Amino acid sequence: MSKRITIDPITRIEGHLRIDVEVNGGQVSKAWSSAQMWRGIETILKGRDPQDAWSYVQRFCGVCTTVHAISSIRAVEHALNVEVPLNAQYIRNIMIAQHSVQDHIVHFYHLSALDWVDIVSALKADPKKAAAIAQSLSDWPGNSEKEFKAVQDKLKAFVEGGQLGIFASGYWGHPAMKLPPEVNLIAVAHYLKALDYQRKAAQAVAVLGGKNPHIQNLVVGGVATAINMENLATLNMERIAYLRQLMTETRDFVQKVYYPDLIAIASFYKDWFKYGAGVTNYLAVPEFAEDTKNTKFALAGGMIYNGDLATFKPITTHQDQALIQGITEGVAHAWYEGAQSLHPWEGETKPEYTDFQENGKYSWCKSPRFNGKAMQVGPPAQVMAAYATGNPKVKKLVDDAAAKLGIGLKDIHSTMGRLFARGVRAHVMADLSLDYLDKLVANIGKGDTTYANPTEIPSGEYKGVGFHEAPRGTLSHWIVIEGKKIKNYQAVVPSTWNASPRDEHGQPGPYEACLVGNPVAQPEKPLEVLRTIHSFDPCIACAVHTVDPEGKEITKVKVL
Amino acid sequence: MRTLIFGAGNLILSDEGFGVHVVKYLEDNYTFPEEVELFDGGTLGIMVTHKIEEAERVYIVDTLDTAGEPGDVFRYEKEDIMLNRLPVKLSPHQIGIQEMLYISEMRGGCPDAISLLGVIPKSFDPGNELSPSLNEKLPQVARLLVEELRGMGYEIGEKQSSALN
Repeated sequence: MSKRITIDPITRIEGHLRIDVEVNGGQVSKAWSSAQMWRGIETILKGRDPQDAWSYVQRFCGVCTTVHAISSIRAVEHALNVEVPLNAQYIRNIMIAQHSVQDHIVHFYHLSALDWVDIVSALKADPKKAAAIAQSLSDWPGNSEKEFKAVQDKLKAFVEGGQLGIFASGYWGHPAMKLPPEVNLIAVAHYLKALDYQRKAAQAVAVLGGKNPHIQNLVVGGVATAINMENLATLNMERIAYLRQLMTETRDFVQKVYYPDLIAIASFYKDWFKYGAGVTNYLAVPEFAEDTKNTKFALAGGMIYNGDLATFKPITTHQDQALIQGITEGVAHAWYEGAQSLHPWEGETKPEYTDFQENGKYSWCKSPRFNGKAMQVGPPAQVMAAYATGNPKVKKLVDDAAAKLGIGLKDIHSTMGRLFARGVRAHVMADLSLDYLDKLVANIGKGDTTYANPTEIPSGEYKGVGFHEAPRGTLSHWIVIEGKKIKNYQAVVPSTWNASPRDEHGQPGPYEACLVGNPVAQPEKPLEVLRTIHSFDPCIACAVHTVDPEGKEITKVKVL
Repeated sequence: MRTLIFGAGNLILSDEGFGVHVVKYLEDNYTFPEEVELFDGGTLGIMVTHKIEEAERVYIVDTLDTAGEPGDVFRYEKEDIMLNRLPVKLSPHQIGIQEMLYISEMRGGCPDAISLLGVIPKSFDPGNELSPSLNEKLPQVARLLVEELRGMGYEIGEKQSSALN
């Protein structure tokens, strides 16, 4: 007998996602991923000035404001063949890396930890033992018995006062929860602390971007961050020192708290390196441009097929024609007109809503494919590409963790593997941030203070694509410019790749594929489904944000 | 005392951006002393918790899904949120304003005075303009905030160029 479970909406994600699973004998046998929000925001870009696109697209998504700005500006620069000065690349790289650090910290602690951490169990912990465990993991100074005791007392007061609030909907005491009380307490304490460090990363982005959320410092051809080491109003020695301090503190948090917590938690959930593989074709684009033409990068991109590293095909530049030509988006099962797959430059966004038809159209998400194949994007793809190209830091982190946890590279194709890869990526991003600050200072020291190549939009028709390896994976913005205006605009975002519905050949997207075979102990509490879906860090790219007080006893005072 | 006006919402989904429109309207039409900060919080929720924690008095402006007509504005105070009178399952984000306030409270950083002004939206269609019924409410909500801030002793000027509609 199969049982159908619908989870609508999936909580602790961005956007509105519905997941349907068919459970047979305690295991998922079939799954559907359905984005429940109209995503036609590209349409408002048509007819606008390409120079302004980056500013609008920051509002595409709730969280990933910076990444859309970066992709968009690169799309225009690619279309017009504009070079970007080294200082501007370094400044963008620092913002990209710090945004990633912030994003990964928030995902680990605030969006996914509660799938693995039993908050209520932390009340039973011995704070002294918790401190001893935490201190054995790293020398971070915040792990004292006093600190853990204070968090436990506060938690107790909340629970006794019936104020579990955000935690009230958690699956506490679920048989799939495996951490000892002390590890739960460590995780809860760091969950609260993590907010301070995600904030420091946000401040670092703001030092360069002028504002965060929604950076203000991009221009086609560079950045608008004036550089003058002696001037108070520009990027100067004082600002750089402040930036270095913020980024050093976040690096320490990532490397001495987040990463050790991740490894500690994973060691109690090794079985989760077996579930949730799904689509094992991976795509990553190269990131952290180190020349002015986007042809030299710090981290490799590439494709991997069937989870086999031997199939790795590197992508070395953002001008890779096989990559640019190979991407299409299908709408066979998405609520848009038509059935054929189109290249993003020809992409259309014409809604055709039918309601949920499991064999017909059932999602607002399109189905991106590479040469007709479903691909998984995200930290596992980038980590494997870096590993395949012999990146020493990534290799060491993966090999060390493999030795510690008894896992291999193939275990990255899993629910826990995705969390692990994101931790590795955060570790790398934290170091790269400081690395690019050094490179920026050194370049300025050589006397180069250029930060933009001012660009006029010419008349005529131009097509461009801006690739960016964002925290959730490969992002691309596609622009067609005609007569100095935007003629067409499409964003193919990481969550579209991963959350995509079946395509015209019936191939499921990564969310749909990864759930098949997952255990479900209690269908009424489908914690295992949430674990696997959350491991992707879903971000259903259109950020509606309405407060919805659906209770009965609401004190509501109408004021206007 | 630092007072924060926190505008939440998505600026390119018409009425969803109401909170941000209010912040922009205030910036365009009034002058504020240094202790009052206007903040375009977008839809980041938990990632901007620190803005709330840095203030002593907070006004959040957002859209609201409840019974009533588009353009109706409702007001909630901190206790409505903390005592679960404004339930947790709130925004499609699920890490929205409310969750952010809970975490702040648990960290001991949440200010005592928080008010939420919520407006019922009409349209979430792509677009960077408000629907007429909400556009009409915009100056009224701004005026309400300004009057309240003046009542607290802040000196708030009106910009010359603006025709307050």
